[in-house]
Amino acid sequence: MAVLAARGVCKSFGRRRVLTGLDLDVAPGELVAVVGENGTGKTTLLRILAGDLRPDAGTVTAGGRPGYCPQTVVLDEALTVDQHVRYFQAAYRIGSPARAGELIERLGFAAYRGQRAGTLSGGTRQKLSLTLALMHDPPVLLLDEPYQGFDWQTYLAFWDLTSELRERGTATVVISHLVFENQRFDRICHLTGGRLEGEAGSHAPAA
Amino acid sequence: MRQQLDTAIRLSLAGQVRNRFAWILLIVFVPVWYLVIGSMFGGHTSVAFRLRATGTTVVVNGHNLTLISAGLNSITLLTAFVVFAAVRRARFFDRRLVLSGYRPGALIAAKTSAALVQAVAVGAYAAIVLLFFWRPAGLWTIAVAFMLAAATYAALGLLIGVLVRGDLEGFFLIIMISLLDTFIQDPVGNPMANKPILEFFPSYGPTQFAAAGTFSHQVLASMAALSLAWTAAFALAGLAVMRLRMPRPVPVAAAAAPSEHPAASADGRPPRRQAEVPVATRVKEV
Repeated sequence: MAVLAARGVCKSFGRRRVLTGLDLDVAPGELVAVVGENGTGKTTLLRILAGDLRPDAGTVTAGGRPGYCPQTVVLDEALTVDQHVRYFQAAYRIGSPARAGELIERLGFAAYRGQRAGTLSGGTRQKLSLTLALMHDPPVLLLDEPYQGFDWQTYLAFWDLTSELRERGTATVVISHLVFENQRFDRICHLTGGRLEGEAGSHAPAA
Repeated sequence: MRQQLDTAIRLSLAGQVRNRFAWILLIVFVPVWYLVIGSMFGGHTSVAFRLRATGTTVVVNGHNLTLISAGLNSITLLTAFVVFAAVRRARFFDRRLVLSGYRPGALIAAKTSAALVQAVAVGAYAAIVLLFFWRPAGLWTIAVAFMLAAATYAALGLLIGVLVRGDLEGFFLIIMISLLDTFIQDPVGNPMANKPILEFFPSYGPTQFAAAGTFSHQVLASMAALSLAWTAAFALAGLAVMRLRMPRPVPVAAAAAPSEHPAASADGRPPRRQAEVPVATRVKEV
């Protein structure tokens, strides 16, 4: 059973038709890449999947509140890392911020917990954004160009984390204009002409 | 809801307090503005000031009346700027919070509360700083007038923050509206003085309230009410636009919805939700 399903999703901006009846099913634990050239509507698709943008037509069904990490890092520049965690703890209505603490340690920015977001480097801001998307242990994770600004160690830590999430049953959709390591994905979907064309990633089990 | 409201109020105030430029304006601009404007109208000449609310005209010290106008001008600029900056800074962040489950009502109530706290604090501060330039009778009425004007302009800052596309347009509007509004109320060197049209400007109520309190020892409750009406109108318009622009978050199925304080698992993590509760939820249908 799909934990995330899109059916017949259409979206236009003025006369420009971006999504033209797009379908997508993502199963629990599945890791899906959505790739495409610049301007093909990848970010539009992810925003619709996250509920951040209304489609002109079509439906999206999800099995719970997704974790959403937008392409542009969205933080409050005046608040510290810990204050962000408190804000999202209240948003998700979770009793303990322990998972956030664990993610902060794993992504290697615990030293910055008291610093304001406006003073953090681009990579650390991206790590915080990812932590906020993951701290409620979501059933579906929607990531838009998630590893921009990561150094090599953090990039590897990100994939370790993604593997762990897959084992825990979290479905993950990663938007990227380039996929360097297709063996990490179960499925790679190409967004062309407003629709998705899928192919199995190297990680997918053989049929 | 309560936990979200408390958190949002605390963190909204924390964000506003970290606005360094606002602190500079508060510490430097407010006293300097009293000094500059007070010096420009240094002669302690008498001017006629019409208390339109009572239909009487009182003869007042022009310098002292100008200090009230200077105070109103500085705090209206300051509060509108702080709230405008806070709204602009957090507009995408608020969307993300709502998508993550924050109730828009809690966020809006928190922003309103934070703006009111700020208006009261800035109004009281400006009244205290005024004492370095003039020891008025009925200082409390000036302090209340300052708080009323600050609240109105905090609401105006919010409204402008949700309406304009760019920061520069917003700053320009705030500066122009505040200067025009507060100084045309002052009869010193102002050809529009004491004209009926003044009643249709936001700082009319606070100016009348302060002048009546300090120059004729009257408390004009109707002027305070008029000022509050301006505040309510600006705030309702701004908050309505803000609410309309907030996204509709993905609803969580009842069976999968977490409690306000769910029991943490052994490793301190929040309990896993959907993997164990495979209830698909329709989130959007057009």
